[in-house]
Amino acid sequence: MGNRSSLLLREEEIAQIQEETGFTPNQIERLYSRFTSLDRGDCGTLSREDFLRIPELAINPLGDRIVHAFFEEGCSDRVNFLQFMQVLAHFRPIKKGRDNKLNSREQKLKFAFKMYDLDNDDKISKDELLAILHMMVGANISEEQLTSIAERTILEADQNGDQMISFEEFCNALERTDVEQKMSIRFLN
Amino acid sequence: MALIWSVVSVSCSILVMPFLMFLLAIIFLASIGKSLGVRRLYVKMLLKIFEYGRENIEIAKKDRHTSCDNSENEDEDDVEGQRDKEKGSSNVTCHYLNHSNHMLHKMDRKLKNGVLANNSTSVISREDLILVPDPEQNYTSASTVNSEGDHTAVIHNFPRRRSFETLKREFELSDCLNFVKAGVEAIIEDQVTHRFEAEELKSWNLLTRTNLHYEFISWRLSFIWMVGFLMRYCFLLPVRVLICFIGTVWIVMAMLLIGLVPDGHMKRWLHKHAYLITFRILARSLSAIITVHNKQYMPSGGVCVANHTSPIDIVMLSTENCFSLIGQRHGGFLGILQRALARASPHIWFERSEVKDREAVAKRLRQHVSDPRNPPILIFPEGTCINNTSVMQFKKGSFEVGSVIYPVAIKYDPKFGDAFWNSSRYSMMQYLYLMMTSWAIVCDVWYLPPMYQQEGESAIDFANRVKSAIARQGGLVDLMWDGQLKRMKAKPEWKEKQQEEFSKRLKIDTKKQE
Repeated sequence: MGNRSSLLLREEEIAQIQEETGFTPNQIERLYSRFTSLDRGDCGTLSREDFLRIPELAINPLGDRIVHAFFEEGCSDRVNFLQFMQVLAHFRPIKKGRDNKLNSREQKLKFAFKMYDLDNDDKISKDELLAILHMMVGANISEEQLTSIAERTILEADQNGDQMISFEEFCNALERTDVEQKMSIRFLN
Repeated sequence: MALIWSVVSVSCSILVMPFLMFLLAIIFLASIGKSLGVRRLYVKMLLKIFEYGRENIEIAKKDRHTSCDNSENEDEDDVEGQRDKEKGSSNVTCHYLNHSNHMLHKMDRKLKNGVLANNSTSVISREDLILVPDPEQNYTSASTVNSEGDHTAVIHNFPRRRSFETLKREFELSDCLNFVKAGVEAIIEDQVTHRFEAEELKSWNLLTRTNLHYEFISWRLSFIWMVGFLMRYCFLLPVRVLICFIGTVWIVMAMLLIGLVPDGHMKRWLHKHAYLITFRILARSLSAIITVHNKQYMPSGGVCVANHTSPIDIVMLSTENCFSLIGQRHGGFLGILQRALARASPHIWFERSEVKDREAVAKRLRQHVSDPRNPPILIFPEGTCINNTSVMQFKKGSFEVGSVIYPVAIKYDPKFGDAFWNSSRYSMMQYLYLMMTSWAIVCDVWYLPPMYQQEGESAIDFANRVKSAIARQGGLVDLMWDGQLKRMKAKPEWKEKQQEEFSKRLKIDTKKQE
C-alpha cells in the first residue's frame, strides 16, 4: 500500500491539543480520523487541494477564503494536525466559566474579520469588500450595484472616517448579531 | 518422514470422498435453486458471537478507561442516546473509539475506516445551511426524504420555503458568516466524501480489517478472533475459491455451447437456466445470503434499475431472475465473464470511449427493450460504486428510453462483510479475496412496483423520483450529488448556482443617483 508515515497520535499530542484548543480526547480522535481521511497522500499534512476535494466546500462561494484561513500561519502550503485543530477550535461553542482561548467572541469575530481582510492589514477597504461581494454573488449583480452596496456598508460601519473598516468598527457593526450562534458548531461527544 | 507422509495421504483419501460429496451437494442445490438453510444458521450463530464480542468489549473498556460521560461533556446531546437501542447503545461506540493510544495500526489490507458513515457516529450536528449542487430541486421536490432511524438526510437550504420577496434584505457584514460556518462544517463532516469508503461499523465484527485500533482487548476476544481467522482462511477460503472456479468453468463452457444453438425459444430457455445456475453457484462461493422481498414485482422485460455497490450486485440479483447486462468492458476476470455471457444472449458491453457517445448506447438500449423476448436489462444509473449508505445521482440516460422502469433496492448488511468495491484502492482480484475471506455477504433485495414517467415530467425528475423510491425502501440516504465526484472535481456551475441563490436574497437599492 505504499510508504506510510507514522500516523499514530500519541497521548502527549492529544494532551497538547486538548490544552491548546479545548477539544475532548474523543473529539480529537474523531477529528484526527477526518484529517487522515482527507490526507490522500498520507503525508500527515493537508494541502489546499485536499480541502477543495470536499464537494460542499468546493461549491461554497467563500470556499477559497475559508481554506486560506488554515494556511495563514507560517508560509508553507501544508497544514498539520495541530494547525488544523487550532482553526477548528474557533468554532467551538462558548462555555461559560471555561477558559475560552480560541473560541471567545472576540476570536470568532477576528476569524470572520480575516475573511474580509484579504491583505491582512487589519483593515477592510472598499476593494476588499467588493472582492468578497463578487465571490458571493458571482455575475448575478452588476458592478455598479455592488459598488453601491459596498459603499453603503462602509458608510454605516466606518466611525473614524478613514473609508475603511477596522477590527473595532467591525465588532461594533456586528454587536447585535448573535456571533456565538452563527460561528459555533455543535459538536456531539 | 515416510510415516508422516503416509498418515497425511491416508487422511486425505478419507477426507476426499466426503469433500467431493459436499461440493457436489452444493452444486446440485445451486442448480435446482434450493437451499438447506445452512448459511442462515451460520449467520445466526455469527450474530450471537458478535453480540458476545460486543459485550466483551464493553466490559473490557469499563475496566480500563474512565467512563465516557466524564466532565468534559461539551454538549449534552441525547440524540445519540435515542438511536440504535437494539444495535448496541451509543456507549459502545463511545467506548470502542475511546482508545487514546495505538491509533490506526497499519495492516496490509486495513480499510481506512476512520470516516463517519451515518448520523449516529457524527461528530457535529448540522442544523443550518448545507450546500447542495442544485438548490432549485429543494423547492420543487415534494419530499425531503425522511425515514426513521439513522439514515435521515434532511437537506436544509437557506431558510425554508418562504416567498423570496419577504426574505430579501440588504447586505450586512454578517452575511458571510453563514457561508463560513457551512464551509467549516463541511470540512469537519460532509455528505459526500465518506460515501466512497467503506461504511463504519458500530461494533467490531471480529475482522482485523474493520478494527480501527488494532489493540488487544481481551483474551477471550482474541481467541475467538483466532478461531474465526483460521476458519475463514483455512477452510472457507479454499472452499469458496474452488466453488468460484467451478462456477466460472461452468459459465464459460455452458455459454459456449448454448451460443451454438440456433436462435429461438430453445436457446432462450437453455440460456435462462444456465444463467441462473451460474449465478447461484457464484453466490454460494461468496456465502451469500439473499433475502428477496416482493418477488411479485420481479420484471420479465423492460428496464430494471438498482443502486450500485459493487459488481456483486449482479450476482445478488441474478440468482432469481435472468437479466441482460449493460456496462463497461473490463479486462481480467470480469472480462472473462462478460465475454462468456455475451456469447449466448444479448448484453451491451461498451468501451470507455463509447460512453461519451450516449446516442449509440441509447439506441442499443432502445433496440433491446423493444423486443419483448429479450430479458430485462439491468442498469446501475449511478454509474459507479457507492458504499451502500446512500444513493447518489441517477444519470438520466436510462430514463430516456421511454420504457417502464422496475426499480430494485439492494442493501447489504456490513456486519458480515462489507461488499463495497473501492475501485481506487483494490483491484478486482483483491476485492474478491476480501469478499471470500469475510464471514458472509448478507443482503436484502426489494423489488419495487414499476414506475412510469408522467406527463410533462422530465427524465431528470423521473430519475429523481425513482431514486427516492429506492432510497426510501433500502433505508439509504438520498443525495443529489453525482457519484462521479469519486474521481472528478466539483463543477463550477454548482458554485455559480450558490452565488445565484445568495444574490436572489439581496435587496438591491434601485434608487441610483447618476
